[in-house]
Amino acid sequence: MLDWDGTAVPDRRADAGRVRHLFEALSRAGFDIAVVSGTNVDNVDGQLAARPAGPGELHLCLNRGSEVFAVGPAGPRVVHRRVATAEEDAALTRAAELAVERLAHRGLEARIVSERLNRRKIDLIPEPAWADPPKARIDELVLAVTDRLAAHGVHGLPGAVEIARRAAADAGLADARVTSDAKHVEIGLTDKSDSARWILEHVRLRGLRPRDMLLAGDEFGQLGGVPGSDSLMLVSEAAGAAGVSVGVEPGGVPPGVIALGGGPDALLDVLEQQLRRRTRRELPHVPDDQDWTLAIEGIDPELERAHEAMLTLADGAIGTNGSLLLAHPATAPRVLAMGLYDGEGTETELLPCPVWTQLAGELEPSDRVQRLLDLRTGLLHQQLSLREGVLRAVLFSSAARPGTVALRVEGPAQRLQRRGGLAAPLARGAQAGGAGRRRWLCVAASHGGVVAAVAESRLSAGRKMGRLDRVGTYVVDHAALPEPVEAVEALREVEQAGFERLLVEHRATWARRWEEADVVIEGDPELQFAVRFSLFHLMASVPDSGEAALGARGLSGPAYRGHVFWDSDVFVLPSLAATHPAAARALLEYRVRRLLAAREAARRSGRAGARFPWESAGSGFDVTPPLAYDRTGRVIPIRTGELEEHIVADIAWAASCYLDWTGDEEFGSGSGLTLLVETARYWASRIRLDQHGGAHIDGVIGPDEYHGRVDDNAYTNGMARWNLRYAAHLAAAAHASGVDAAERDGWLAVADALVDGYDASTGLYEQFAGFFALEPLVIEEIAPRRPVAADALLGHDRVRAAQVVKQADVLMLHHLLPDEVAPGSLEPNLAFYEPRTAHGSSLSPGIHAALLARTGRTEQALAALRLASRIDLDDLTQTTAGGLHMAAMGSVWQALAFGFAGVRPGRETLRFDPHLPDAWQALELRLRHRGSVVRVRIEPGELLVHANPPLAVRVGDGDPIPVGPAGIRLQRRAQEWTEGNR
Amino acid sequence: MSKVLAAIDNSAAARPVLAAGAAFARLLHADLEALHLRENGDRTARAAAEAAGLPLRELAVRELPGSKIAALLAAGEAADVEAMVVGARASRIGRRPVGHIALELIVSQLKPLLVVPPHAFVPERFQRILVPLDGTRMTSAALAQTIELAHDSDVDVVALHVHEQDSLPLFSDQPQHEVETWRREFFARHCPHPEKVRLEVRVGIPAENVLRAASESESDLIALGWAQSLGEGRAAIVREALERSDVPILLVPVVRGARHTTSDQHEAG
Repeated sequence: MLDWDGTAVPDRRADAGRVRHLFEALSRAGFDIAVVSGTNVDNVDGQLAARPAGPGELHLCLNRGSEVFAVGPAGPRVVHRRVATAEEDAALTRAAELAVERLAHRGLEARIVSERLNRRKIDLIPEPAWADPPKARIDELVLAVTDRLAAHGVHGLPGAVEIARRAAADAGLADARVTSDAKHVEIGLTDKSDSARWILEHVRLRGLRPRDMLLAGDEFGQLGGVPGSDSLMLVSEAAGAAGVSVGVEPGGVPPGVIALGGGPDALLDVLEQQLRRRTRRELPHVPDDQDWTLAIEGIDPELERAHEAMLTLADGAIGTNGSLLLAHPATAPRVLAMGLYDGEGTETELLPCPVWTQLAGELEPSDRVQRLLDLRTGLLHQQLSLREGVLRAVLFSSAARPGTVALRVEGPAQRLQRRGGLAAPLARGAQAGGAGRRRWLCVAASHGGVVAAVAESRLSAGRKMGRLDRVGTYVVDHAALPEPVEAVEALREVEQAGFERLLVEHRATWARRWEEADVVIEGDPELQFAVRFSLFHLMASVPDSGEAALGARGLSGPAYRGHVFWDSDVFVLPSLAATHPAAARALLEYRVRRLLAAREAARRSGRAGARFPWESAGSGFDVTPPLAYDRTGRVIPIRTGELEEHIVADIAWAASCYLDWTGDEEFGSGSGLTLLVETARYWASRIRLDQHGGAHIDGVIGPDEYHGRVDDNAYTNGMARWNLRYAAHLAAAAHASGVDAAERDGWLAVADALVDGYDASTGLYEQFAGFFALEPLVIEEIAPRRPVAADALLGHDRVRAAQVVKQADVLMLHHLLPDEVAPGSLEPNLAFYEPRTAHGSSLSPGIHAALLARTGRTEQALAALRLASRIDLDDLTQTTAGGLHMAAMGSVWQALAFGFAGVRPGRETLRFDPHLPDAWQALELRLRHRGSVVRVRIEPGELLVHANPPLAVRVGDGDPIPVGPAGIRLQRRAQEWTEGNR
Repeated sequence: MSKVLAAIDNSAAARPVLAAGAAFARLLHADLEALHLRENGDRTARAAAEAAGLPLRELAVRELPGSKIAALLAAGEAADVEAMVVGARASRIGRRPVGHIALELIVSQLKPLLVVPPHAFVPERFQRILVPLDGTRMTSAALAQTIELAHDSDVDVVALHVHEQDSLPLFSDQPQHEVETWRREFFARHCPHPEKVRLEVRVGIPAENVLRAASESESDLIALGWAQSLGEGRAAIVREALERSDVPILLVPVVRGARHTTSDQHEAG
C-alpha cells in the first residue's frame, strides 16, 4: 500500500513508465498493490496507465478515501464509492466557507481551491511563489506557511487545522476528516485511513495479513505540528505491517516506520528487490501466529504417523499427509482420493494414490526437521537442517482447484535432483510415463482409478543451492481408469497458471472459508486452537461439488477403509450446512446417488423404500464386515451392518438439517424429497403393529452398541417417527411427491402409534424395552476414569447385561430432535444417562458437551468439549495414525453452536439460547441461514448479532426480532433478553 | 567371536543352565563358556560341563579378591561377553524363590541375563519367544534387538500386550476397524518385522497374563525388558516370572531416557 505523489512518483507530471512496468511485473508475480492518494482517477491512472494481468491485484484508493478502483487489463473500474448526501455536500461547502471566513477575520487570505468528491480544499498560502511546490522543498514550505499563519495570530498548521475542524463542526459535520499537506487544509468526509481500512479488509479476504504488507509514503511524520497525511494509513488494523518513508520527513517518522529517504527511486528499488526475490522463487513467510499454527519439531518414530495425519493437506478431492520430504523409516507418505475405492464387499478400502511430495535421499539421524501447518492459509512449511545445508519448502493442495497440488523447495541442489516427482504407492502396480519435465503415474482401482501428473522446474540459487517448483494434478474417475492425457492436459493449465497464481488463489479461497466459518473463543487460547484445528480439517475434507464419500477418517488416513458411516450425515454435515452449504449438499448427493442400492437392499430384506447401509463405500451396498477380532483376538460377530438401522433416519435427518439451514427448495422438492419419502417408506414397512395398535421396531442396535438386538430403541423409534411425520409433511406440500394422501395418512398413523419408551411420571425415556431391568451399574462411579472402553473393562457379557451405555443414545435423540422429545425431558434424561455413559466412542463427548451446555452445566460441558477437541491432537486413541476422527471434529462445532450458543435454525427464524462458561470472555460464530450471512458475538449477559440480508432472530424464549446488517445488541436481565444500545 | 557366559553352581540346576546357555548362544551366533565358582566341590558342575561338551572355567571362592557376585559381575563385564546365564535357584522344591546370587546378578548385571528355572526343559534351539511389550518406548527399544535376533534365526515371536485398568483405551468406535487400526499402529511403534510377529492382546493383570500367554502359546523363552529394580511395587512381572515360570526368562535392561531421534518435542498451537 503506497502513497502516490512524492512516494511512487516525484510529482504528478513525472514520467511513470518505470512504475508502470514494475506494477505490471509485480502483479504477474502475485503481489497485490494499492495506491492511496488524495487525487482522482484521471490524474493517477492518466499518469500510471498500468494494465496488470494478475494474479496480483492493483487498486487505486483515491479522492482521499472516497473511492476505490480495481485496475485490470481493461483499465480501472470503480469498486467502492462513498456518496455524500446532499446535506453532507452542503455542509462541506459551508465548513470551507466558514473556515476561510474565520481566517480572513484574522487578516489571512485563504482560498477554497477545489471542490472535490466528499471534500473541500483550502489553500493557506495562495501566492505565486508557492503555486506548486515540489516535495523536496517541503521544509521550506512548512516554514513559509507557519510564518504566514503566525503573522496573523494563527498558531501554525495545528491552529489552521483547528479552525477548520471547528468550522466543520459548526457546519454540522460530526465526523469531519481535517488534514493538511502544509500548503492546504482539507475538510472531508473521508481520508486515507478509510482507504487503508478498505484495503486491509480486502486483502484479509485474500488470505494476507498485515505482516505480509509494506506501507510506503513520504509524509508519515509531523509537518509543521500536524500529522503527515500518510500517517493516516497507519490504522490499528495495519499493526504488523512494515512502514517505510522515502520522504524528507523534517519532523522525523513515527515509531515503527523506517526513514529510508531517497524519494520515489528508493521505493522503486525496494519494490524491484521484492520482485527479484519472488522471481527467484523465494518461499513465503513461515507463520509465527500460534493461534493458527500446528508445529511439529523433530521426528518421533512413535508419533510420526499420527503427526502426518494431523498435518494432512486436503482440498476435498485429494488428501496428502504431512510426511517429510525425505525418506525416513518412520514416515509413511500417503495420498488418498475422495471416494476412490479398491476391492470388493467388506474388503473395499480407499485406494493409495501416487505421492507427489518426495525428494531425493533420506534423512540422517543428525538431521533436524520442523513442520508448520498454517491453518489459516492451508500451507505446510517444512524446514530440514541437513549436513549439506538447509532445505526449506512450502506445500499446498489447492482449495481453489481441488486435485491440484504445488510444492516449492529451496535447498541443496543434490536433493532437488529427483526426476519425475511422483512415487507409486507401496505394493501397488502403476503405469508411468511422461516427456520432458512432465511425468505421470496411473493407478487402477477395482472400478476406475487415478492418474497423477506433475511438472517440475528448477533454478540455481547460488553455490550448491537450488530451487524447485513442482505442480501437479490428480484426475480421478470412479468408473473407468482415466487416460493419462487428461491429467497432462489439466497439468498444462496449472503450469500456465504458475505457482504464484495458484498460491494467491489458494490463500484467497481459504480466507473466504474462514470468513464463513471461523469460531472465536476469547479467554481460552488452547481450546481456540483446537477448535480451529477441527474446523480446518472439516473444511478441507469435503468438496463443494459433486458427491462427497466422507469416510470416518476423511482423507487423512486409511483407517476404517474410508467407509462412510452416520459420522458424515449427523456429525459433520451440520457444520457445513450452517457455513458452507455446497459442501453439505455434496455429502447428501453421495446418499442420493446410492438410493438405487438402498432400495435394492430394502427389497432384499422384504421391505419397502430405501434401506441405507451402516457402512457404505462405492457401491452403496453394505460393506460392514460380519466378523472381527476384538482386542484380545477373540472372534466376535459384528451385527451393526444387519441391525443398526437408525442410519436410515439419520440420513433423512441430515437432509432436513440441510433444508433448515438453506431453504433449498430445489432439493426439498426434488432429490431431498425422494430421500425423505423412501426412508419413510422403509420405516412404514419395518414397523410391527401389535394387537393393541401399538407400533414397534424390533431387533435393532441403537447408537449404544454395547447392547445389540434390542426392541424399541428410543433413538431409533424416535427418529423413525420423526422421519415419517416430516416426510408426510413435505410430501403434502410438494406438487408431485408420488405419495398419495392414503400413504401419508398411513405414515402419520403408524408414527403416532410408535412407542418411544417415555414415562411421563419419571420424565425418562427407556433406552430400549427392558433397559431399566438391567443391572443398575453406574459407570461413572465404578470406572477408574471416563472415557473408557467399558466392554474391555467389564467384559462384553457384563456390559450387555448392565445399564452401561457406550455413547449418547436417548440423549442423541434429545440432541438431534429437541422439539420432538417431551418438553422438559432433557434434564432428567441427562441426569440419568450421563453418569451411565462410558463414552466408549469418540463420537460421544462432543454431543454431551452440547447437551450439558444447553442445560447450563457449562463447566462440565467445557470439560467434555476439551476432550472432544483433543482426541487427535493428543492421539487419545493411539489410532490417529490411521486418520483424524471426522465425527469428533464435527461434534466440536456442534457443541459450540448448538450447545454453548444454543443455535437452532427454523424455517422463519434463527434462535439463540446462549450459555457461556465463566472462563470465556466471548464466543463468536459465523453462520449462513437461508442465504443470510449471520455474525453473532456472545459475551456474558450480552448478545450482538448482525444479519445480511436481514432475518428474524429469537433469543431464549423471546419473540422474533428483525435483525439487519447494522445488527442489534441484546442484554439479559433475569431470564429475559431485551434490546440494548446498538 | 563373542560369547555367552553361563555361571553354574555345583547343583542339579547346572545342566539346564548350560542347555539354555547353549540354545541362547546359538540365537546370538556366539560361543558358550561355562564358569563355576568352586566353593564346596565341583564334580556335578564338571559333569554337567562335560556332558555339554564345554570346558569349565573354575575360580576358587576362597581365592577371590572380593565377593562371589563381584567376581561374576567382573567376568560378565568382559568385552566379548554378550550375555550371561544363571540358574534361578538350585532346586525346584517349594515355591522356588530366586536364589541370592541370581538376585544380585539380576539387579546389577547391565547386559542381558538369562535366568533358568531348575526344572526347565530347554530345547536345543529356541522355537518360540514370548515378548511382552508394555507400550513404552523404553521397553520397545530394549526388546527390539531380541526380536531382530529371533527374526534372523527364524524363531517365532509372540508379542504380548496387556491392557491394564489404567491403560485401557479411551475410545473404541467400531471394533471391526478400530482393533485393526490399533494393532497396525502398535506394531509400527513397538515391534519390528510385524509380518513375522504374532500379537496377542489381553486385558487384566500383566504378570498373570504373561505366564498364561507363554503357556498357551507354547513359548520356550520369555524376554522381558526391565529397569533392574525389584523394589516394592516395581517389576511385578519380572518377580512373578522368575518365581513361577517354567521356561527361561531373558531379562533385557531398559535404558532410561532412551530416544530414537534427535529431538522429540511436540507443540500444538
